[in-house]
Amino acid sequence: MPSGDLRLMAALLGGRAAGIASRRLHLGAGSTLPGDVGRALDPRILERLTASLRQGVVLVTGTNGKTTTAALLRTMAAGAGTSVAGNPSGSNLIFGLTAAAMQVADWRGRIDRDWMVLEVDELSTPGAVSELSPRGLVILNIYRDQLDRSFEVEQVFDRLRLAVSRLPSDSFLVANADDPRVAELALQADRAKVRQILFGLEMGPEEHRRLPAVSDGRTCPRCRAELSFTRVHYAHCGVYSCPACGFSRPDPEVEGRSIRLNGLEGLEMEVATTGGATAPVRVSLGGVFNAANVTAAAAAGRAMGLPPERSTATLVGFRPAFGRFQVVSWGAARVRLMLAKNPAGLEENLRAVLAARTGPVLAIALNDGIADGRDISWIWDADLEVLGETEDLHVVVSGTRAHELALRLAYAGFAEDRVLVRPAPEAALDEIARLVEADLPAPALLTYTAMLDWHRRTTSVGPEAESWAG
Amino acid sequence: MGGLGGAGLGNSRLRLGHLYPDEMNLYGDRGNILALRRRAARRGVELEVVSIGTGAAAAELIPTCSGYFMGGGQDLDQDLVATDLITLKGDHLRQAVGRGAPLLAVCAGFQLLGTHYLTASGDEIPGLGLLPLHTEASTKRMVGNLVVIADPRLGLADPTLVGFENHSGRTVLHGELRALGRVVRGGGNDGQTGLEGAWQDTVIGTYLHGPLLPKNPSICDWWLGAAARHLELAPLDDHLETLARAEALNLTPSPRRSSRWRLLGRGLAP
Repeated sequence: MPSGDLRLMAALLGGRAAGIASRRLHLGAGSTLPGDVGRALDPRILERLTASLRQGVVLVTGTNGKTTTAALLRTMAAGAGTSVAGNPSGSNLIFGLTAAAMQVADWRGRIDRDWMVLEVDELSTPGAVSELSPRGLVILNIYRDQLDRSFEVEQVFDRLRLAVSRLPSDSFLVANADDPRVAELALQADRAKVRQILFGLEMGPEEHRRLPAVSDGRTCPRCRAELSFTRVHYAHCGVYSCPACGFSRPDPEVEGRSIRLNGLEGLEMEVATTGGATAPVRVSLGGVFNAANVTAAAAAGRAMGLPPERSTATLVGFRPAFGRFQVVSWGAARVRLMLAKNPAGLEENLRAVLAARTGPVLAIALNDGIADGRDISWIWDADLEVLGETEDLHVVVSGTRAHELALRLAYAGFAEDRVLVRPAPEAALDEIARLVEADLPAPALLTYTAMLDWHRRTTSVGPEAESWAG
Repeated sequence: MGGLGGAGLGNSRLRLGHLYPDEMNLYGDRGNILALRRRAARRGVELEVVSIGTGAAAAELIPTCSGYFMGGGQDLDQDLVATDLITLKGDHLRQAVGRGAPLLAVCAGFQLLGTHYLTASGDEIPGLGLLPLHTEASTKRMVGNLVVIADPRLGLADPTLVGFENHSGRTVLHGELRALGRVVRGGGNDGQTGLEGAWQDTVIGTYLHGPLLPKNPSICDWWLGAAARHLELAPLDDHLETLARAEALNLTPSPRRSSRWRLLGRGLAP
């Protein structure tokens, strides 16, 4: 037996033992510690393990929608009769990817699956592409995110450009034609080496929308002139062109059409492919941005050779990923947990909530932990002014920076007597339970650690498609 | 655009010149504009926001304004803006400040007020030269909560300033130039001297964002007072601001242990 195999087996054993010990001791690092230990024992463990996949790895990256899109793609791949694994826990740095691969490998280091579909952090994508030589990469969007960690949008753009340049021969790149920077990444890619599949929406349910008050997508990625948008679907994604240099939205090969939103409960749409069939889709996810995530998953499915009708039909049974439109209960009250950790995410979730008329109470929780981003100034960039136009809505604000939210709402013109400041999660949930209408889940927009807090304290309603088990 | 010769002084109307709103709008700078407008409105003063972008035509708007704000930006935007600021806007801004109009500049905007920026490779990128200071590139980034006690000579109603900083440049004040204040928590201008920001007459530069003005109404009122000297700035009920300030000042240094471990896999280890 070659020594490399022995080393791999030792790394697997060591990493797993560490994972079991950590769970027994309730250290709570079950989803990544095996990866840390495994990589220490065999630095090439991730590359070696995934080399045994029958088809290969597909990576999903972008500021918002990674977890949901990867979960949609896994559901489609499984529905089409292939076997697929992933990192549903959302651990999306290289250690988390390693741990996910170790979890499904046998004792010899083989993964008995066709595919692994892995979400990966934007800044970690170049490294992940180098290690994994993926069959494909999906890029969803680039928004301003946790600036104290990711620094600046241009840096994220540069990292993703590096990742695209490292894609192996005969791989595919699925990219969002509606996001100017992401489209430019695809247009710059080496066509001889990488197959490009652009996706986009034909139009949102609203005819035309304005760009957000603060937006990083309004300038041309080539010449920095102000782009002209004829349509805005969500955030800064839409139909655009540059009056200065002629850069414009490329035609998407896979297009989401006829989008009908059914409150926050779900959406219906069609996914059309140039020169191919049009497949109807029904999925229990709300929000226009989720129509884009569905379209991205369908485009990736096409590149993976999944039969379109069969794979999209299985989305009927899709259950929202952890904390992404997931409904939980607190006593008799039901609450819909919606992750919102940057201005684009908060604005789009809020827009979906207000369009859906979800009842008399809404909660927003803002924590400033390291995982949330210590810098909470982004809530001032988000357009909360739309809340100022509501008349009878109560907003419960919670989290370590609940008072900052209360101040932001006052600045947005929201009546102070309809703001309830409840920093502790239990107190906020109690307040929701007091105000909510029994048949409607109250929407709760939460930063990352607030979402973990609320999820831990509440009870899941219905089965979760993919468990959060480490 | 008639009747603007007095730049709004003495009228119940002010014009805020927002410098480079599209390029320099990082880190919640929109909140600063909202704060100036709201605190003016609560005293019956209408604050009109004038966008002053790149180009020669925009420079002509500068003399029509009562005061100015410039925010933070990405590196790419700063190069673009620096040239425009020096060549097209410099003279107008110097004249405006000379007649006592306030100019508040945050983060990258603060750096642009200095004489130059020294890059890691030793190149000097010229700045506006409005304040005698310069900034040097550094590999250590100062990221975190920043608490400052402002220079008492500024006469702020509440000298404790709270915010967030995120910069790798180290700013050096020359000669007698005064700092905005002394650092209580955080890095400030250089992480060593305990100095934060700079001020001279009606010009303030600072690394405090977060955003600065909603949580620090005394700086907001300093700007309004300089922009409209004839106006009586009545005290306001600031209980929401006070609570948000208290919350920011009481920040616990690290989150609970359990969530820290859970998040290691997302690369968010402290």
